[in-house]
Amino acid sequence: MKEKLYAKEILVTIIFTIVLLIFGHFAQLFVLFPSLQSGTMWGFPVHYILPILMGWFGLLVVTIIMALVLNRLDDEIDQYGETNRAAAKGGQNQ
Amino acid sequence: MQMTEFVLPNIWVGVLVVVALFAIFYYVGYVSAKKTTSEEDLYAAGFKIGPITNGLAMAATWASLATFMGVIALIYRLQAPFVYLWIQWALSIPLLVLLYGTCLRRMKAFTPASFIKVRYGNQAAMVVIAWMCLSMVMYALGQIIGLGMAFEVLFHLPYKWALIIVGLATLGYVTIGGMYGASYNAAFQMVVMTVAMVVPMGAIMKQMGSSGWWFPPLAYGDMVPGMLAQIPEFFDMKYDYRWYFALIPAFTLGPIALPHLAMRVFTSSSLKSARWSVVWFILFLGLLFAGTYTAGFAGNYFTAVTGNTIAKPDQTILVLNVYYNPVLVAAFVVGGAVAAGLSTVGGNLMAIAGLVGADLLGILKPKMEAKKRMTYGYVALGGGGLIALLLAFNPPAFLVTSILWAFGLLATAVSPSLLLGVWWKQANKYAMIISSVACGVIYIIISPHVLKGIVVGKGLVAALGMSGAMITVPLSFVSFIVLSVIFNKMNIAAPTLADMQYIDRIHGWGDEHVESRYNSYAMPIFAVVASVIIFIWGLQPW
Repeated sequence: MKEKLYAKEILVTIIFTIVLLIFGHFAQLFVLFPSLQSGTMWGFPVHYILPILMGWFGLLVVTIIMALVLNRLDDEIDQYGETNRAAAKGGQNQ
Repeated sequence: MQMTEFVLPNIWVGVLVVVALFAIFYYVGYVSAKKTTSEEDLYAAGFKIGPITNGLAMAATWASLATFMGVIALIYRLQAPFVYLWIQWALSIPLLVLLYGTCLRRMKAFTPASFIKVRYGNQAAMVVIAWMCLSMVMYALGQIIGLGMAFEVLFHLPYKWALIIVGLATLGYVTIGGMYGASYNAAFQMVVMTVAMVVPMGAIMKQMGSSGWWFPPLAYGDMVPGMLAQIPEFFDMKYDYRWYFALIPAFTLGPIALPHLAMRVFTSSSLKSARWSVVWFILFLGLLFAGTYTAGFAGNYFTAVTGNTIAKPDQTILVLNVYYNPVLVAAFVVGGAVAAGLSTVGGNLMAIAGLVGADLLGILKPKMEAKKRMTYGYVALGGGGLIALLLAFNPPAFLVTSILWAFGLLATAVSPSLLLGVWWKQANKYAMIISSVACGVIYIIISPHVLKGIVVGKGLVAALGMSGAMITVPLSFVSFIVLSVIFNKMNIAAPTLADMQYIDRIHGWGDEHVESRYNSYAMPIFAVVASVIIFIWGLQPW
């Protein structure tokens, strides 16, 4: 159980770090792949408006998911700690 | 072509708006002072700030006077690439919370230096306090100078008198209110800033003929053809890929070590509340920043369409408001700019107070009683502001360097110690001290601000620290990791069992210690390989 929770903590931290960096630096995609710099959205060139949207609403969605996932992980770690403490206390009483 | 400068047609309307705002700030400070009875209240608002208030306060603390003035000037000058640079600032708080903020909140730290002190010891904490205080003074100095200039232009006062008035008025309400006052005032200031940025811009856009006036942050697309007809290169991605990549070491990794942002996270009422405040932060900051991009775009559009040139681009938003809107609205926008500067100064001064009054004093006088330490905290709070104010009269050239440059310094000298300290048990205290001091000094040396003969990069990339950070940030990670391995093998200050237990505790594992946790070599090896590649890339001519 504890190894699983630890692995989950590391994994979600790495994933969220990467996703945050991609959303916050979305313009880099348009420099790496110049062919994407075509077309418009709401009257703007896509390589202008998409980085703005990703850096605002994109990050908003990511941070909501981040709050839900990490708060749940905290609860799981707390629950594991409580079970552990209770088991240790039971052992001492015996 | 006509040169347009900002002149408020009726000074007294501006005076009225600014005095009214300051009256509110002082009232909030006065009410907050009554709640401040302990160090926890003074530095962390009793760890009681809820997510919406904190989200607003985080956004206000992060969005400085530059949001209203400097950045619009730079969009005016550099156009779309500067918008990309600005977008990534939103990563600061999410990354801070994800990578170390909640861990430090769990230990009820007042500042990031409190963690460094426990993790690496007093000497390491002194090094980090020095770097952080330097960046905070530079930050506060820039804001106070900007506020002084704003008051000079607004009220036609001599610069020195403008500086004294705004400096002392700011110092007063921040010192009275402590972190409670700074938090509630910052939340209110964020509302003022956002309304001042977005609503008047709608009126301006309507008069410019845009059908998107109902939502200025995203609905100015119908102005694009007019803009492109006059300035065809506005949306061009003008630089090569390295320029955009350099934003990460220079401007993304630095702000996560900013103590005034970290302290905002630490004021949260719980870990869960800290994570939800990040969501509100993104929502509010995104709205304000998108308004800023609109103002930058509208400034260029104004020049292109009317034939008028804005003489001082940092006054773009003020010029647009005087040109298109009634005087009361223009005065309110000035109030928004003032609020932006004040919220950041408040955060900077609270950080200096925490670093000096709690962390440094805790090292120098560990047995001092809390009540007395708190008094010194207030002295540090007022003293830090007074020093910044005095420096603003005749600022040393080195200290008025763009604060953007200082972010690279923090990314080099502080961020690795926080990140590796939280996530790698083998991080060694002497390795931290050596890499922080050596790489921080190298970053300063290779910038164009000290020794002009030794500069890596040229022009704006060197001035903003982008070329420097591409070298010193990876160098700092590599030297820290490699020296940690060497020192630990030689048994020089190798992490003790207590150090390792501490890492487990701040991650929420309580007293249960598992040695293999946060002790792998996989991530450090990956970090070294990636850092070496970035370092070599950074050494190529710019």
